[in-house]
Amino acid sequence: MEALSLREDNGDKTALAGQNTLQLIAFSIGEQTYGVEITTVREIRAWNGATPLPNTREFVRGVINLRGTIVPIFDLRARFGDGQTSPTKNHVVVVMSVGDKWVGILVDAVSDILTVSRDDIHNVPEGNAIDTELLNGIVTHDSRMVGLIDLHSVVSGAKLDA
Amino acid sequence: MSDLDDFKATYFDECSELMNELEEQFAAIEAGERDADRLNAVFRAIHSIKGGAGAFGFSGLVGFAHAYETLLDYVRDGRVEMTDDVVSLCIRANDIVADHINAAQTGEQLDADYGMEEKQRFDAIARGQSGQSDDEWSGEIIEEFDIEFTPVRVELAVDKHEPEAAPARAAEPDTFDAPPMPIEPGHWEVRFTPYRQLYARANDPLLLFRELAALGEFNVRALLTDIPALSDFEPFGVYCSWEITLFAPDLTEAAIREVFEFVDGDCSIEIVSLGHAVPPPAIAAPDTPAAAAPKAPQHELMALTEDEVAPTPTVAPAAPSPAPVAEVPKADEPGLSFADLASEIVATAPPRPVPVSAPKPPAAPKPAAQAEGGEDGGNRSVGVQSIRVDLDKVDRVVNMVSELVITQSMLTQQMDENLRARYTELVRGLEVLAQTTRGLQDSVMAIRAQPVKSVFSRMPRLVRELATKTGKKIKLETIGENTEIDKTVIEQLSDPLTHMIRNSADHGIESPEKRKAMGKSEIGTIRLSAEQAGGNILIIVEDDGAGINREKVLQLARDKGLVAADMTPTDEQIDQLIFAPGFSTADAVSDISGRGVGMDVVLSNIKKIGGSVHVRSWTGKGSRMTLRLPLTLAVLDVMLVKVGESPYVLPLSSIVETMQCSGANFERVPSGGQVLQVRGEYVQVIDVAQRFSMHSTKQLDDRFVVLCESEGSQKVALVVDDIIGQQQVVIKSLEENFEQVDGIAGGTILGDGNVALIVDVQGLRATHIHQKAA
Repeated sequence: MEALSLREDNGDKTALAGQNTLQLIAFSIGEQTYGVEITTVREIRAWNGATPLPNTREFVRGVINLRGTIVPIFDLRARFGDGQTSPTKNHVVVVMSVGDKWVGILVDAVSDILTVSRDDIHNVPEGNAIDTELLNGIVTHDSRMVGLIDLHSVVSGAKLDA
Repeated sequence: MSDLDDFKATYFDECSELMNELEEQFAAIEAGERDADRLNAVFRAIHSIKGGAGAFGFSGLVGFAHAYETLLDYVRDGRVEMTDDVVSLCIRANDIVADHINAAQTGEQLDADYGMEEKQRFDAIARGQSGQSDDEWSGEIIEEFDIEFTPVRVELAVDKHEPEAAPARAAEPDTFDAPPMPIEPGHWEVRFTPYRQLYARANDPLLLFRELAALGEFNVRALLTDIPALSDFEPFGVYCSWEITLFAPDLTEAAIREVFEFVDGDCSIEIVSLGHAVPPPAIAAPDTPAAAAPKAPQHELMALTEDEVAPTPTVAPAAPSPAPVAEVPKADEPGLSFADLASEIVATAPPRPVPVSAPKPPAAPKPAAQAEGGEDGGNRSVGVQSIRVDLDKVDRVVNMVSELVITQSMLTQQMDENLRARYTELVRGLEVLAQTTRGLQDSVMAIRAQPVKSVFSRMPRLVRELATKTGKKIKLETIGENTEIDKTVIEQLSDPLTHMIRNSADHGIESPEKRKAMGKSEIGTIRLSAEQAGGNILIIVEDDGAGINREKVLQLARDKGLVAADMTPTDEQIDQLIFAPGFSTADAVSDISGRGVGMDVVLSNIKKIGGSVHVRSWTGKGSRMTLRLPLTLAVLDVMLVKVGESPYVLPLSSIVETMQCSGANFERVPSGGQVLQVRGEYVQVIDVAQRFSMHSTKQLDDRFVVLCESEGSQKVALVVDDIIGQQQVVIKSLEENFEQVDGIAGGTILGDGNVALIVDVQGLRATHIHQKAA
């Protein structure tokens, strides 16, 4: 089993989650935990290499074949400016839909499914433009900080300016 | 109402086909072929457009098409001569019809008087030639229909008889005022009595009347005698029926019935020909079953004409074999075939005239209608048998076949020498499989292939419009319009071609005065041609205008920062600059072109479908733009190469030859780049690994050169690390989930499931220039 599909059980959990709560898929990059809304996640699969794309920024790891369509893979660590991940078989690609496009995000591991209240989402502290650009907000879960990824910003600016 | 939407969609499909046909016919007519077949084809097309428009209530279109059709009709029977004036009026009319169709399709409103001028000219021509008898018969008749009908008789000019609307007689519902005398043929009286369900099904008698009016001289009279006192009035009751008098020289009953085809069963229609020397009263006694029939909802009582019934009047009330007669009116259940019934009756009572008086079998009008269609559509190409298939279904087959081709080539790759030696039968089987899949693929592609004519035929209109707007004189020549390309390519072709032709007309062709001064013919020529060249289709737009103003282009490009100030691009490179985004040389933004979107749209559209664009220009003599398009989108023959650790594919159609670097003659040029000497020719060298910022571990001598031909027969030598082999791949879009990447035309999935990128050879050269500029 290379891919673990989460789509089936989405429905129930979302139903349980109710109006004011949010379900997140939490994943880690190094020590830090980040999350994306569970409804955007299409699939989680193990890293199995990607074909590099020339003339793109370092955080574009390349493209993979997802059942006949070509999906780009973004290295989240590199996107945050911490250098490229050296992926192993244990690294994970989270495939999500952003607008009408599907993209994969390379992360170290998927850790949990979290249910948080919308009221608990804090604003990202002003100061660093990278933080405010790439994160939508911050929530606390089990006294850990979870950054909510702004997918649109993460996947933008992929092209290398000539 | 989705059904109606479906019908509409089909109608618009047909309209666009018909408009294409019109363009085609007029192209020939304009060129001097003014035979009857062409005219008939034109007439048919306009008639079909009008017919559908009537059914959907596009009154503007109906009105215009009707006036147009009238003129055509006169031309057809020789009353109006097909002069050049008439031809150009007709061509203009086609454009207006197309605009009406567009408006109807998009739901926008055209000005109420749009096309009115032309319409009046039709009327003027038609009236001028047709003599005095046609006073009430012209375009205006349509407008009159928008007013309520009033039961007023209008004297028919050609009428000899007096179909009196005497209220007293109209009070007898089932009798017809038949003429007492035989009169000339072609006169018909139609009694139209709608049933309740006709309205319940949202039919509108007005539309039917409009159709009838199109058949010939026409007069309608409402019978209001059945209208009850207000107190007895039922809201949904039907109290009104109509009597219609029609005259047209060769009008047949079938043609009239065709009009009522849609409301078949929802109304009673009696059609009586007044033009035959039949014994006058086709009157059924009120107490016969047949006469009662109109009240039976599903039943159509048809007054029979001479064709069907010999001298016998309609229904023989005193038919001596009562049983069969009693059967007849009951035969209104849809399931019952009148024909069967009739033959049964014949069997039981052979010598009687009764059977013939059975209502006409419903199937009968059909052959008659065909005969009529045959008369004005005699040359409809009977040979082509085709079916309409949903494109999705074809696409599914294409996709499956593509995957099959890939699997097959993967299987072939698995065969190493060992296996080959051991399993000869398997090898033979694989070879046959390869052939069969190839054949299958070709056949499937042939299904999708369409002549480029469908796009080309839209261009004459564009050129005419452009010529009018710019005040230039432009002639369009098309060549090779029967060249076939994949349907998806054709769909993508329309916009780029439009832009290219606009560009030629606006920027290329000079004004007549200027042309004259330069010693050229006043009329500028744009030549549009299509030809197949190997696995590609070349679409070429040429003009004999001024060519590209290179100084201006370069200046603009520098101003916009597209070219660095210290760079001196070659003429050819300057020419290609017109495809840069946001680029325009027009001094003023016109509504034709000049907003700077356009040529870059051409480039991106063409790239999207795996093609390339090249432009060449000769100052003062004209310019030529060449689109190179793949024959098919689905499957591409490629060479699989390796650059760094990654697989790349190069379209086989662009590869000229391959060689080992060790045997190649590299030379240095001052810029630090390399050129390759191949048989006395110097070719630009691009190290793909370097260009794609990849690390190549191989020594130069172990690497390979792939000599590719890009546009304009300019060659370029790509240095790759390894050549793996040749195979077929299915092109997948990168843009679907990502965005366009410079130097990459798309992606594909290899047999092992990995993604390989398709190198955009043309794009590699282009980025080369930009990088130097930066």
